[in-house]
Amino acid sequence: MKSGMLKKIPKWNLILLLTLVGEIIIFGLINPRFWNLNVLLNSFNDFVGIAIIAFFVTFVVITGGIDISGGSIIGLTSVVTGMLAQFVGMNIWIAALLAVLVGGLCGLLNGVLIAYAKVQAMVITLGGMLLYSGIAIVLVGLSGTSTYEGISGFSQEFINLANGKILGIPHSVILFLVILVIAYILLHRTRYGRYVYLTGINQNAADYSGIDTRKIITSTYILSGLSAGIAGVILTSYLGSSRADFGAEYLMPILTAVVLGGTLITGGKGGVIGTALASIVVGFLKLGLQMGGVQTQYIGLATGLLLITSVAFLGVPGFKSKVKRFLTIKKDRGGNLHA
Amino acid sequence: MLHLEHIKEEVIGMSKITGITKYREFRTIIFLIIIFLLVGIVNSDFLALENILNSVKNSLLYIVLAVGLTFVLLTGEIDISVGGTLGLSAAVSGVIVRDGGSIFLAIIVAIVIGALIGLVNGIGVTKLKISSFIMTLGMLEIVRVVQVIYTDGKWIENLPANFKQISQINLLGMNLLGIIVILAVIILHLYLSNSRKGRYFSAIGDNEDGAILMGIPVIRYKIISFVICGISASLAGLIFASQVGFISTTAGLGIEMTVIAAAVLGGVSLSGGIGSVVGAAIGAIIMSSINSALVFLKVPAFWNATISGSLLIVIVVVDVLIFRRANKKAKKERLNARVLTLKEEV
Repeated sequence: MKSGMLKKIPKWNLILLLTLVGEIIIFGLINPRFWNLNVLLNSFNDFVGIAIIAFFVTFVVITGGIDISGGSIIGLTSVVTGMLAQFVGMNIWIAALLAVLVGGLCGLLNGVLIAYAKVQAMVITLGGMLLYSGIAIVLVGLSGTSTYEGISGFSQEFINLANGKILGIPHSVILFLVILVIAYILLHRTRYGRYVYLTGINQNAADYSGIDTRKIITSTYILSGLSAGIAGVILTSYLGSSRADFGAEYLMPILTAVVLGGTLITGGKGGVIGTALASIVVGFLKLGLQMGGVQTQYIGLATGLLLITSVAFLGVPGFKSKVKRFLTIKKDRGGNLHA
Repeated sequence: MLHLEHIKEEVIGMSKITGITKYREFRTIIFLIIIFLLVGIVNSDFLALENILNSVKNSLLYIVLAVGLTFVLLTGEIDISVGGTLGLSAAVSGVIVRDGGSIFLAIIVAIVIGALIGLVNGIGVTKLKISSFIMTLGMLEIVRVVQVIYTDGKWIENLPANFKQISQINLLGMNLLGIIVILAVIILHLYLSNSRKGRYFSAIGDNEDGAILMGIPVIRYKIISFVICGISASLAGLIFASQVGFISTTAGLGIEMTVIAAAVLGGVSLSGGIGSVVGAAIGAIIMSSINSALVFLKVPAFWNATISGSLLIVIVVVDVLIFRRANKKAKKERLNARVLTLKEEV
């Protein structure tokens, strides 16, 4: 049973990979410009932030939690970067580093309250979502800058962080790969990663076997916060300005990447390779639809459907048996205990 | 005999826990009063009857949303598509009244839209076993796009005056809609707390397997809860259209998070089984009063999200800590009592 389930995850990754190839072929047939490698690589700029956060939200979801505050942390770290660099006059790289640490602090707050005070992850990260974007708005408000224009005037070096290229490969692609490798090694190649899984599969069992699950849970939120901080800095560099509302619409794409990537929302199963593939699938889907002439505001329909159907497809006892149950539902009118 | 004693102790333990839950709502009310008094000390205008009535009027939208959401939360699920439902039903019914259709028709259409969205959510969650968070998140995105397609991305303006007037009618100095909503909240509260079927909702959220064993049609009641939530979101859409007078494509954007926060502030637990519509309504008044309180305190409005976010975190954490301590104490007493009865038996 168990080995069967473990086998299922790579199979899902294969499906994602095939979807990706299918997307490239179909969108390329619609608009041949899609087959231009540079276009594809450059599109990483648009979703690298989502992907980076999704890698570590995968950790959180595997432990059985959820983190919806990532988008707000992006806005906060973007504003912190801008203010430290432009108003305090700090070196931009130190400012960026501090901003990432602020992201980590936000994650620490989430994690401590969830793991030690044992408040529901959804409630705390919802409060965090309001709080962190609120702090960002307050910072902008107190500084007297226009909310709409944000803080700009960054050095070309910093702008280059997200917009530059090495040997023709955009920095965003390199960043995507580097963070993916880090997340992969952490989750799949270290004892820490095994602990993350064990915490999600059965927290009590993990506790009894001597794992400090509270520390493990807290650490996943810190990682998620740090990654949101990195995403905030990257987005600031990519767009050349700091704004409090950066990342405000990231909640849905982040969770889509995690869930479509094959990570169970109930915890215990999943992986970052799936998340990475899923974020590229969604990113290319958006790009392809845009290049196919679909207006940006309609694309949510596709991603929303993708999210729901992928979860239905990946659900616990398998989609087939669910359809079967759906068709024979009248037999067990009282509901069934395996729910 | 021992067995009976045991049951008795359990019952005492239970009544203690229900005592605590009652205490939760009570505390929310106290908290609301404290907020009003504190702001009132700084600026006494805040306590004027006119302003209090005004705060209730401004929070109507949130109350309706939070009350509907409470049904879903009680069963242990969550619905974050309410903002989308609000926007879509406001847009569709807005177009109907703008183009000279009857208001009655607009209301019916709005309710049907809300019920349909709730039905789809409910079926997805119960029959396809999709996590309610994911299901309704996807639904939110889809409904928003449907709204954009329907309105072609344009605002709906020039709503007729008689439609806008509805939210302004006063009865005995109080807003008519406000009176209706308050009455509805009280009736729903009595339904949920006193009627047999009303208790099903929190029974499901408290212990789903237990509810199934007791013969409660869990799937049906979960779907009903989503339909109720959808309908109340669409009614909120009507209130929104009538109060604001125009519908932008971003109407209700992000409101779901505020409403969830309001329900949680009001003592509704996201893990299901605990909470009441009255609590949720008070939570909604608190959330929407923060804005006007800031105005009266002459604090810039940009503090709003920070204050509501930290308020939510602090209150929930304190609540959980108090609840856990009380629980521990009750457990200890129960254990002690059991040991004592054992001794007596010997």
